[in-house]
Amino acid sequence: MEKIKNFFKTFLLYELVKGMAVTGRYFFARKITVQYPDEKTPQSPRFRGLHAQRRYASGEERCIGCKLCEAVCPALAIKIEVAEREDGTRRTTQYDIDLVKCIFCGFCEESCPVDAIVETRVFEYVGEKKGDLYYTKAMLLANGDKHEAQIAKDRAEDAKFR
Amino acid sequence: MINIEIDGKQVVTEPGSSVLDAAWKAGIHIPHFCYHKKLSIAASCRMCLVEVVKAPKPLPACATPVTEGMKVLTHSEMAIKAQKGVMEFLLINHPLDCPICDQGGECMLQDIAVGYGGSDSRYQEEKRIVMHKDVGELISTMEMSRCIQCTRCVRFGQEIAGMMELGMANRGEKAEIMSFVNSSVDSELSGNMIDLCPVGALTSKPFRYTARSWELSRYKSVSPHDGMGSNLSIHVKNNKVMRVTPSRNEAVNECWLSDKERFSYQGLNSPERLTKPMLKQDGKWLEVEWPVALEYVANGLRDITQNGGAAQLGALATPHSTLEELYLLQKLMKGIGSENVDFRLRQADFSADGKRAGAPWLGMQIDDINNLDRLLIVGSFLRKDHPLLAHRVRQAVKKGAQLNILHSVDDDLLCPVANKQVVKPDELLDQLLQILQALKVASGTTSAHSEISGAATSIAQSLAGGQRVAILLGNFAQQHPLAAQIAVVAENIASLSKASFGYLGEAANSVGGYIAKAIPGNNGLNASQMLVAPRKAYLLLNVEPELDLQDPQQAIAAVSSAAMVVALSAYKHQAQAYADVQLPISAFTETSGSFINTEGRVQSFKGSVKPLGDARPAWKVLRLLGNLMNVPGFTYDSSEAVRDELLSGTPLAERLNNHLDLPLPTQAVKAAATGLQRVAEVPIYTADALVRRSTALQKTSDAATPVVSMHGSELVKLGVASGNTVNVVQNGVAVPLKIVADDKLPAGVARVPAGHPATALLGAMFGNITVERS
Repeated sequence: MEKIKNFFKTFLLYELVKGMAVTGRYFFARKITVQYPDEKTPQSPRFRGLHAQRRYASGEERCIGCKLCEAVCPALAIKIEVAEREDGTRRTTQYDIDLVKCIFCGFCEESCPVDAIVETRVFEYVGEKKGDLYYTKAMLLANGDKHEAQIAKDRAEDAKFR
Repeated sequence: MINIEIDGKQVVTEPGSSVLDAAWKAGIHIPHFCYHKKLSIAASCRMCLVEVVKAPKPLPACATPVTEGMKVLTHSEMAIKAQKGVMEFLLINHPLDCPICDQGGECMLQDIAVGYGGSDSRYQEEKRIVMHKDVGELISTMEMSRCIQCTRCVRFGQEIAGMMELGMANRGEKAEIMSFVNSSVDSELSGNMIDLCPVGALTSKPFRYTARSWELSRYKSVSPHDGMGSNLSIHVKNNKVMRVTPSRNEAVNECWLSDKERFSYQGLNSPERLTKPMLKQDGKWLEVEWPVALEYVANGLRDITQNGGAAQLGALATPHSTLEELYLLQKLMKGIGSENVDFRLRQADFSADGKRAGAPWLGMQIDDINNLDRLLIVGSFLRKDHPLLAHRVRQAVKKGAQLNILHSVDDDLLCPVANKQVVKPDELLDQLLQILQALKVASGTTSAHSEISGAATSIAQSLAGGQRVAILLGNFAQQHPLAAQIAVVAENIASLSKASFGYLGEAANSVGGYIAKAIPGNNGLNASQMLVAPRKAYLLLNVEPELDLQDPQQAIAAVSSAAMVVALSAYKHQAQAYADVQLPISAFTETSGSFINTEGRVQSFKGSVKPLGDARPAWKVLRLLGNLMNVPGFTYDSSEAVRDELLSGTPLAERLNNHLDLPLPTQAVKAAATGLQRVAEVPIYTADALVRRSTALQKTSDAATPVVSMHGSELVKLGVASGNTVNVVQNGVAVPLKIVADDKLPAGVARVPAGHPATALLGAMFGNITVERS
């Protein structure tokens, strides 16, 4: 019985017809491909992209160098050195994130008691040379300054779930 | 014994112990803040509230004595509710600044809040703010709002340090821990308050914001400073020592550390560290590689041995060196053929050499000091020279011991002194003889035939009346020009009063130096002779001649005139002026080694960090020099091998003996008493190379520029007032110093500290000194 079934399937090109049916279905269906970079997918406010360091409205940097992000980082991508600034406050003298090591888990952001280190929606960044993706404190602060409006909006949107 | 039940467990405990102790014994943890094993009970934090069956209210476990048949519940509903309630009150005013707090990660409040704190606060009102205070250079009180008023620091000051420098002022919500108006915390044990503080109110100032507790690796080590040999925990981050805390050892330092031991680590990373071998060529210092420097030293030593004889070589080592370094240094010197090696740099009287039955030591165990009931301490700046031993003496006195003092100065020992006799340095021996005479009279072996002072009689009576008696010689007595005779008389007093007799070791290896035989061999020259008759070449092991030796004038003259000076040193110092080679050696955290403390306890330790720059452990350098000089037996591949070689054979306990084979002096020979006599202590924070470079310690009041202090009548004679600058002259060299009247000093004495750059140009630590109006 099985043999007869296979005999007819072979001669009537059953597999071919079945395969072409899939092709035909997708040919007429609605297209879902995003034409990046002309088109972009929508992003969640919780998107975890490039890191940034934030400042308060007064211009004072938020980071107090508690080193919780350094301790929690599973990829050991963060390096922090701390010293007392002239005004007696605790501040970082070095805050580096090696984006090559980073796995974008967002733990740093979650552990931060002052919302200083955040991950922004920016995901389009490149490094042309070795070391370009080693972000220092100045670069992170510059990121923060550039995207502060978006960062603040995203935090506000997510606040009710935190 | 009393039987009680804690959480269903049967516990047998001594009567009088607290519920907290009993629970601890049974392995049940009760949260607490103000309770500390070594301090009195305050019961002020209320964190240890537990339920006692049939008691109407929860009771504090730390202040509740056990009673027969007591049933305690530490985790019942009532207990947990009480503990959580207390925790909520403690957190009301505690700031939420854990992320910037140095205590974060090792904080009792943080830990206990995890178990007993609420997830949020119901408190809506304003938080209390306590302004910061300035209490000196060691303790940071920048965030006193964190204080939970446990009063551990206050009790520590009263009960352990002996001086109440912090207190709680005001009441209720206004209660604050503060020092007396405008005064800093100056106790030489003050750093322990940092450890005691269960929160981040008192933190270490030098350590402030430099590391978090979880970043630090901890290594065990031993203090290289005084003869105590305190156990240390060295905290390291990125191959750098970040701080030092005590490592608990009940037999030695208990859980305390003196400030000297705690903060000297700053010297390890000092910019003055020598990191490259250096050679002097045509008056200029060149950095060279190790082989070049060692070859140069070996050639130089060979030259001098061939031309002038090996006896032209002399070696001096600091008693803060490790056992292995001292042993290899003497082995090297004796291998080359020179017997001139010594580590007793500040000693003046060497007449006991060859007459000793063994290495001089404490004569008892350190923790037996607490149980003494009669004590005679001769010539010791006890608090500054031996801060933790002084604490043990205070504990003994607190238990009822009678402390007798014979000295040339009358410093406050922070405890009641039964009898004290303060005399000029040259009368010290005479006074001891009087005490001996008084003892003999009392025992009826002789009748009084010479004059005996009242103080000597009462000291003798005090000693004779005790069960556990000790006679201890301090640094001043050991450095005295009549040290051997003083020791003989003291030994006789000890045998008459059935006391134990011992020496308070000046430095970490004061006993070890003898065990390592770093003393002159047959016909060898001792530290003093080597300088009186200058040698052609000197090997200096971490010695700064102008600060570490009995007579700096002589020392500088000798090393300056030498043809070759090899300075093995961790630091660049004055050696640049007179040395020919500087070899960088490791500080104690960078090498393995051992110290034998004053009670004869061998304590070995491993290196905690890698040597700085090109510095190398001194035992390796000396081993290589031995190889280059073809001295046989230099094949060690570890410092342990060196230690095992020198400790093999006779057990250490049998090598320790304080007996001196010298005749008992009958009459003290008095020098012609003209002019002033110098009394020189070594200030606590300039006593060794490491503390001299600790920047925080150098800012404390104990490190202030030395002054010359004299009895008020001497000032009147001179026609100067306290605070004036005078010229202090010794052997024709004048040094300007401030003068201060101190009526506790005997007349005819000028107290001029040694071992400090300001007095480094003066002469010997004892002898005549002139003070002139400038």
